[in-house]
Amino acid sequence: MPNIVACFKWVIDEAYIRKSASGALDFSAVDYKISDYDRNAIEEAARLKGLHGGSVTVLTAGAPETAKGVKDALSRGADQAFFANDASFNQLESSQTAAILGEIIRSRIPYDLIICGEGSSDQYAQQVGPRLAENLGIPCISYVQKLTIGEDGRIMVERRVEEGVEVVEAPLPVLVTVSPEINTPRIPGVKDTLMASKKPVVTIKKEEMQAVGAARLQTIGMTATRMERNCEIFAATPEGIARFVEALQKKGVIS
Amino acid sequence: MPGIWIFAERKDLALELLTIARGLASQAGMKVTAIVPDQGDQADIYIAGGADEILLLSALGEDMSLDAWIPVIAAEAKKADPDLILLAATARGKDFAARLAARLETGLCSNCIALNREEDGTIVMERLAYGGAAVQQVSCLTRPVMATIPPRTFAPAPADHGRSGEIRKLPPPPSSPVRVIARKTKERSSQDITEAKAVICVGRGMAKQADINIARQLADLIEGEVGCTRPISEELHWLPDDLCIGLSGVQVKPDLYIGLGVSGQIQHVTGIRGARVICAVNKDENAPIFQAADLGIVGDLYDVTPNLVEELQKATSR
Ligand SMILES: Cc1cc2nc3c(=O)[nH]c(=O)nc-3n(C[C@H](O)[C@H](O)[C@H](O)COP(=O)(O)OP(=O)(O)OC[C@H]3O[C@@H](n4cnc5c(N)ncnc54)[C@H](O)[C@@H]3O)c2cc1C
Repeated sequence: MPNIVACFKWVIDEAYIRKSASGALDFSAVDYKISDYDRNAIEEAARLKGLHGGSVTVLTAGAPETAKGVKDALSRGADQAFFANDASFNQLESSQTAAILGEIIRSRIPYDLIICGEGSSDQYAQQVGPRLAENLGIPCISYVQKLTIGEDGRIMVERRVEEGVEVVEAPLPVLVTVSPEINTPRIPGVKDTLMASKKPVVTIKKEEMQAVGAARLQTIGMTATRMERNCEIFAATPEGIARFVEALQKKGVIS
Repeated sequence: MPGIWIFAERKDLALELLTIARGLASQAGMKVTAIVPDQGDQADIYIAGGADEILLLSALGEDMSLDAWIPVIAAEAKKADPDLILLAATARGKDFAARLAARLETGLCSNCIALNREEDGTIVMERLAYGGAAVQQVSCLTRPVMATIPPRTFAPAPADHGRSGEIRKLPPPPSSPVRVIARKTKERSSQDITEAKAVICVGRGMAKQADINIARQLADLIEGEVGCTRPISEELHWLPDDLCIGLSGVQVKPDLYIGLGVSGQIQHVTGIRGARVICAVNKDENAPIFQAADLGIVGDLYDVTPNLVEELQKATSR
């Protein structure tokens, strides 16, 4: 029965980011969420547990606010959570996150399979999964769209590559990163949320871990991109549509 | 001698990376090394494209995947200590780069869209963050600097047949526990939407696959191509992956883009920013696409599109 670890990141919901008058990013109205594809990672872990038994542990590194995300993750079918918690952990760079998750897994969580999302919805650097696998010295298979665990302790997966799909097999333990088509994440109900509060959470402070190394990439600038245009709205009536076509002609995009 | 390495699984990608490498190398007097699959006499193409040294990867066994090379290339990089390693941001390339960066204990700029060398030699790299809502500038504090570059971000390096270079074969990779047991090639679109003058984009507002014909009809009328959002290609498989527009798909820059039933989430909109005129048909007046569009019709695409086709026919036959 496999012990499965699903890693997730608690991120700013990018749909709430505004651009201030000065052109800077405005985070004043933001909400947070479990990064989109990490929800697929947790769902896949829960799905596999349903088939094979075993356990599902969710793991994250984040600032204290991430406690809300830990509860959210536990309401999605996990048994327990490990949470590396420090105020400085909302600015981690991929190599640091992978080092923290790696240390916790190595020292505290027995595992056969580790599942990460293909990339986080805020940074989308797509590095933590592969780096974590290297830190642990286990194989990594990225962009997985379909996953089966065989009787023989091997996994068989389909991974997306440019030319199509590669069907790949590897012995456990292994790390996979998953793409959104692998499953449809559940929407937790009231009962799931209530049950989540009763599940064990191991919180690990920065001081309890080996020193987190310095960031290797330094952010030296962050500027809002220009997306907004002045949209002219037309009615869905024959007249509205005729005017819409006229506007296209005026702009010279149809002849 | 300091150097720039490029690694790519395909010729077109290698030549794009060579464009960047050659530009930087000429500024800083660096040697350019290309690590590429051994495909007969192709090494000359890379030398003409700007490489001073070619490291050839022998053909892999049928059941081996590209990542088998990671330990070999990591060992070479530790010996040669290059300044910069560039890889193509394909699915395999991004996975490969992150694992190589972990082994070399260095930073990696993923999906780097611009790269410049400052006076003091610092390499400043740009990438998109928050789904495309922001451009992030980063520099790397460790050696080597690494970056993955999305395909087609740079033009392929032109050939200069007067150049010369050395060619060396790398030792074969050790056996890997990961075995490829089958490869299925996917349907690819026959059209290149990145070059299209008009793009009709199909979103999840389309109720069924057959309805894509509605978009195709519109596209034919204005001599455009059909593209789609990620859920359409990846979750529903209604259209091939290479038609997916956005952060994890392609960037398009047509004169005219029309989204049909596209909500306009930032990850999609970031792929159409280069379009001259953006139009949207969506039944939800609050859909974010209307903030990113120039012209919008609030309505049901099933009512609007036939009318639109008719009006366009009238207009274009005049
Ligand atoms: C890291 C990351 C990367 C991503 N990369 C990409 C990417 O590269 N490309 C991409 O497209 N997405 C990408 N996404 C997904 C993106 O966030 C959105 O989920 C996606 O673009 C939504 O696709 P959609 O507009 O087709 O579907 P939906 O968001 O479901 O929108 C459907 C729209 O259709 C409208 N509609 C429904 N019925 C009708 C009708 N009859 N007539 C008119 N309108 C109708 C609805 O009002 C709605 O606005 C990415 C997400 C993440 C997290």
